[in-house]
Amino acid sequence: MKALPDPETFRLTIPSQTRYLNLVTGLAKRASMVAGMDDATASKVSIAVDEAVTNVILHAYHSRSEHWVEIELRFAPKALEIRIWHTGEGLRENEIVLPDPSEYVKHPRKGGLGLLLMSRFMDEIHFSESPDRSECRMIKRVS
Amino acid sequence: MADLSIQVRDMDGVAVMQPEGFVNAHTVQQFESALEELVQSGRVKILLDCQELTYISSAGLGAIMGLIEPIRENGGDILLCNLQRNVLSIFETLGFTQLYQVFDDREAALQALARKV
Repeated sequence: MKALPDPETFRLTIPSQTRYLNLVTGLAKRASMVAGMDDATASKVSIAVDEAVTNVILHAYHSRSEHWVEIELRFAPKALEIRIWHTGEGLRENEIVLPDPSEYVKHPRKGGLGLLLMSRFMDEIHFSESPDRSECRMIKRVS
Repeated sequence: MADLSIQVRDMDGVAVMQPEGFVNAHTVQQFESALEELVQSGRVKILLDCQELTYISSAGLGAIMGLIEPIRENGGDILLCNLQRNVLSIFETLGFTQLYQVFDDREAALQALARKV
């Protein structure tokens, strides 16, 4: 017998193209509000999702447009859990070094801010790899 | 509506740039090119009026960061005004309000730029 889908979860798969970012962030913001977050918090979640999917497109897939990014949003009892899967180059959690914002203020330069925004705007971020794909899992709790 | 449209007008020697829409990895090239055009034409007093900017990701912040030093070395600056709450939140979260002057309205920002000779 075929298993029923989790009623608290839905998925979206997009081509690895930045033109679809706004579609995903709009969805993430709406989902955050459905989960019970206020507008300001929902905006932060949508920015974190923008950064995560952008990282996949630009860095995991090196801007190659023929791949796919799969996004799952799961409504947990007191949180929204977002998983992003891809088959490009994975990011190892133990190799991540978040930039120091005060260094950016002293020495302005481009790049490196996306992960920092994700970490500041979400409650948890985890990166993992399996043989067939890589995952970024982010959690925002509803207060 | 386009993802991003940008208007630039001169007000008393200040280039007032008004982005309408959002700046992310998809639209950042347009945003960066508009800023670069100003710098290349010697217009280094720049006011970013963000009233119609719905959000900016790290890609957009990087574009501003990449130009701020040459602008200041040439006696100019980038000031910001009318930031929507979520855009201000990004600047505050990263501590960028220490790097860029942010004003509630355009008039106050223009006065601050006029004092920079």
